[in-house]
Amino acid sequence: MDNWKSRFKHKLVEILGPEGVISSPDELVAYECDGLTSYRVKPLFVVLPRSAIEVSEVVKLCSAENVPFVPRGAGTGLSGGALPVEDGVLISLSRMNRILEVDIVNQRVVVEPGVVNIWVTNAVSNRGYYYAPDPSSQIVCTIGGNVAENSGGVHCLKYGVTVNHVLGLEVVLPDGEIIEFGGKTLDTPGYDITGIFVGSEGLLGIVTKVILRIVRRPEVVRTILAAFDRIEHAGAAVSGITARGIIPAGMEIMDRLSILAVEKAVQPRYPTDAGAIILVELDGPSAEVEAHVCVVTEVLRENGATEIRVARDESERELFWKGRKSAFAAMGRISPDYYVQDGVIPRTKLAEVLREIERLAQRYGLKVANVFHAGDGNLHPLILYDSSKEGEFERVEELAGEILRVCVEAGGSITGEHGVGYDKKRFMPLMFTESDLDTMYLIKCAFDPKGLCNPGKVFPTPRSCVEAGATSYKEHPVEKMGLGKRF
Amino acid sequence: MRAELREIIEVVGEDFALSSVDELKRFSVDGKTPRLVVFPRSVEEISEILKIAFRSSTAITPWGGGTKIGLGRIPDRVDVVICTTNINSVSEYEAADLVCTTQCGIQLRKLQEILRVKRQFLAVDPPHLEAGATIGGIIVTNDSGPRRQRFGALKELLLGIKVVRADGKVVKGGAKVVKNVAGYDIPKLYVGSLGTLGIVVEATFRLYPIAEFSQTCIISSPDIDALEKNVFAVLNSTVVPTCLELVSPPLLDRVSGHLGFDIPKKGYALCVRVESIQRAVRDQISRICDMCGGSNAKITLIEGGLEEKLWDCLINFPWKFLKDGRLACKASILPGSIKWFLRGLEQISSSLHLDAYVLGRAGSGVLTVSLESREDDSSLVDAVSLLRKEIRVIGGNLTVWDCPLSMKSRIDVWDDIGESIGIMKRIKRLLDPRAILNPGRFVGGI
Repeated sequence: MDNWKSRFKHKLVEILGPEGVISSPDELVAYECDGLTSYRVKPLFVVLPRSAIEVSEVVKLCSAENVPFVPRGAGTGLSGGALPVEDGVLISLSRMNRILEVDIVNQRVVVEPGVVNIWVTNAVSNRGYYYAPDPSSQIVCTIGGNVAENSGGVHCLKYGVTVNHVLGLEVVLPDGEIIEFGGKTLDTPGYDITGIFVGSEGLLGIVTKVILRIVRRPEVVRTILAAFDRIEHAGAAVSGITARGIIPAGMEIMDRLSILAVEKAVQPRYPTDAGAIILVELDGPSAEVEAHVCVVTEVLRENGATEIRVARDESERELFWKGRKSAFAAMGRISPDYYVQDGVIPRTKLAEVLREIERLAQRYGLKVANVFHAGDGNLHPLILYDSSKEGEFERVEELAGEILRVCVEAGGSITGEHGVGYDKKRFMPLMFTESDLDTMYLIKCAFDPKGLCNPGKVFPTPRSCVEAGATSYKEHPVEKMGLGKRF
Repeated sequence: MRAELREIIEVVGEDFALSSVDELKRFSVDGKTPRLVVFPRSVEEISEILKIAFRSSTAITPWGGGTKIGLGRIPDRVDVVICTTNINSVSEYEAADLVCTTQCGIQLRKLQEILRVKRQFLAVDPPHLEAGATIGGIIVTNDSGPRRQRFGALKELLLGIKVVRADGKVVKGGAKVVKNVAGYDIPKLYVGSLGTLGIVVEATFRLYPIAEFSQTCIISSPDIDALEKNVFAVLNSTVVPTCLELVSPPLLDRVSGHLGFDIPKKGYALCVRVESIQRAVRDQISRICDMCGGSNAKITLIEGGLEEKLWDCLINFPWKFLKDGRLACKASILPGSIKWFLRGLEQISSSLHLDAYVLGRAGSGVLTVSLESREDDSSLVDAVSLLRKEIRVIGGNLTVWDCPLSMKSRIDVWDDIGESIGIMKRIKRLLDPRAILNPGRFVGGI
């Protein structure tokens, strides 16, 4: 270990104690990627702070030494947002995992960033409340990561995504300052910094405390499963339901390949001969839900449903969802590897975009399974491949990019909930002009003029805040020694 | 006339510019009269105007319907008013997607008329619809109304925006689909920004279907304790009200007098609106009546035309009923503190001889408080500082939305926001380096 590095480690240990700093290559391996395993980088160090003050001290040290840093929650992200940088520090928030306050009267819960998503619901469920955003990884992913990615889930059609449930933040800015934005009350005067911070993918600072809104459990929940011969008919049914003035809590579609995979993995007893299935969940006051169940059933039938099941009890409902929630992992049963894409389209373009994806898949000679949040047009095409076959992953990446192009051309977005991260930054120009990106970068500069916080993510090309008049650039010690160059 | 003003007139043409003193006076902001008012007809024209203004450091005041122009500190400078009302077309509306993109000079009232044809609506119900409140003005003031209980604030509905920046660049953020996390959530930054970061020219919203049936129950409570009990009975139940508004006795008195219906006006009232299919509405309303039936409450049920009128009256309070010597503010507290706040308010208003009209979103803790002085406006100034002291104890903030000009130099209309002002000033400096957009009106003098 060279001199600078060992001195730097010593300073980290002074802040965090020896158990708070990881530096051995064997242990660093566990942190070299997030849920997107195709990119791997070993950081200089991983640190495990226990408080906002420790995070602040680490960040101040990094800032003083011009060392980049990357925040990380549970590492379940699928866009490489928590991918370390080689000459930087990875700040894992996993030890900051306390629920600080449960305030049922005001429907608020205050947590540290390392708190696992489902813990919030567990902490309030006995009082009839829950935390609404429910990404598939909710039993492991953390609130800090959810804030960074503005995570969604299967119920965001009706209940919104993370940003709709975060009211305030305590944040360590990239210069080490600890600041609070928003609060337990609404409409704090000034710019909505909480709003811009949620979904900023760890580029603006490190969240150390989060004020969440919890919601009342609905009186009744009904889940309907319907089978269709063709996926287009399922898509048409989705538009048909919203056209009748009904906004279900969730509407999910799975295609034939996904159905086969989950049947092998978790046996949810879906109709395996179906071309597609749709899950519709309705919740709310009983009189409303029961009436809507009738209307939805009617619409499903009108659109050619071959079979309709309404979950009779909670265990059958859980079984319906078990298949959907395990769909990504189930791909392992039918393919050695898979790549999850995440794009959004207007609901009404569902049928035409799915046809186009199928056409592209054939052209690339790859299989694509489709699982998606149909209600909000959020597609998750799963591209199946075999990484041991030479050149196959490159073809997967190309196809994945083509799919995003199709989504944007249909009027949609390159990501609905997984984030841009490292993986999709090159696609940002599909959606945004140079001026649009410039505006975002000015905001980045307001928070992080030195560009040390999670560098190399989101923005397609390297930028500096110097032109923006925000700062002057300082070299990393490694650069000073002439050993490397950051872009 | 200065050269840059002549250049700006050339962009829009003489017919779309006002420069006579009388005409300009109508566009004064806190007594400061602009030198020029222009009515551009396209986003490109706004961009050209801002390029000229940026180059010449000309101060710009964006103006929609002008209905909330009283919000904010006294501006440092008012040179040119850009009125957005000619940029008012609905750009894209695919009803089946429940999404609509519109230019921001459109009046909310007009937009709702267009959406109503497809039995849909933008789920925001701020005041001043009849007076011509525009989408742009509602976005940048983060205005809201009683329906917030069910649908959230405007930022929850705003999916994407197009903005003309201070330097004239036209940029967009967000997307035109209901779910999107590509790049920073730029729309959030512009909600409530009071036109200080750019002129919002286009917005994409998620829409909701208009419910088949609606009914409102007015629950009169003899005292604040009973009111609070009713609020939490509803909040902790599984009924899903669209609105849950508390109404103070003087306001109840005015509104019921105006509408000519007979309800007890002594205590506080809780107005609970439920919208859904008819059977579900009746079912929930009857449950609400059961929950709140005790504690000597009297319950009045209304629907149809009278119900619409009631909400219209409540929402447009205090602008419709009160005289010019009023003070209107927005207090944001926690639902659990409503009782303490109302007690404090009662004490303050009685000691200062004020009438306090309160319309409050009980579920979100956002209350519109209007104070009317029976003496002079110095008691209003005292009331603001006393109320802020009260709110500091229970947590929250108080923004003055409208007050006599003479008061503005004596109070800060914005509440203290602590250290977070630093990052806001940095954002402002980078997006509007010459401070030409609404200079001085926003928090901390931004």
